[in-house]
Amino acid sequence: MGKVIVVTSGKGGVGKTTSAANLGTALALLGKSVVLVDADVGLRNLDIVMGLESRVVYTSMDVIEKECELNKALVRDRRVNGLMLLAASQKNNKDDMQPEHMKAICDNLRTTYDFILVDSPAGIERGFRNASAGADEAIVVTTPDVSAIRDADRIIGLLQNAEIEPINLVINRFSPQLVGNGSMMDQADVLDILNIDLIGVVPEDSGVITSTNRGIPLVYEDGSPGAQAYMRIARRLTGQRIPIPDLEQKGLFSSLLNWFTKNR
Amino acid sequence: MNLSIKQLFGRKPKSSNIAKQRLKLVITQDRVDVDDRFMTRLHHELAEVLAKYFEFSASSVKMNLKQEGNSYILVADFPYTKFHDMSMRK
Repeated sequence: MGKVIVVTSGKGGVGKTTSAANLGTALALLGKSVVLVDADVGLRNLDIVMGLESRVVYTSMDVIEKECELNKALVRDRRVNGLMLLAASQKNNKDDMQPEHMKAICDNLRTTYDFILVDSPAGIERGFRNASAGADEAIVVTTPDVSAIRDADRIIGLLQNAEIEPINLVINRFSPQLVGNGSMMDQADVLDILNIDLIGVVPEDSGVITSTNRGIPLVYEDGSPGAQAYMRIARRLTGQRIPIPDLEQKGLFSSLLNWFTKNR
Repeated sequence: MNLSIKQLFGRKPKSSNIAKQRLKLVITQDRVDVDDRFMTRLHHELAEVLAKYFEFSASSVKMNLKQEGNSYILVADFPYTKFHDMSMRK
């Protein structure tokens, strides 16, 4: 039986779709069978981020309306074994889908695949409720800024009410330089506020922009810091215990200060 | 420790610390479903009651919600200048 994980955030633009695309691809690269489900009905994006937009024939809406079988609606990603995409319909809107539709799709997929990652739309309304309806677990993506964290807290409350557990946090677009000079909250600050388990920190990586331009998820480029972070998160999702590295870039003064306080 | 040394040197507070403090306050309010209007109303009503016994200036009053573990604490500072019992004057 596979696991259904909803990737969500509350606020838009924090990297939900990028995270879903990279984690799905990374899990497939680790040998798992994966379906990426775009739950953003009416504003579909996962197919273009994955570079699969030209191959989408059917969407989850066609499955719901019994226009086609679920298996036929899945787009196979030819770059890696065991990776599929279920696209969202662009011509429908969020009210055309019911939470029980999504739950039925997830329950069906989990009989065949190891991981089902559902990319949730932003917001706390219908789209989010649809996306999380079939989920066992959640990944909440946030950036280390006040508005994203406040919205993440709201989403965490809703996920807890829905008894979705565990809820794991990804801190995205983390800038070691800005944290080092005190202009950005570090992971301890964010965790102190949100009080959930951290599954990974993804550093700001300009490679995300070029990889999205090309439709090739970052994890195909091993060297990039963002790709490495997503690979580590994927390994943690499979149950491997991999420590979260400290990405903060410290100035000379605070490095010395840390050294003295640690070695006292 | 780290912080106190920096404060000793009189440095400007880091914006990340300001962000954290602001977030903690706003999220505490979000979680208990308390909004600004509620806090303002509570503030007025408490001030009305306390004004019967104390003299204080409205601008010096501070009210905040704090979270400690799983419980919330309402902290209200009403710095007063004089004590007077209006009920005794009747």
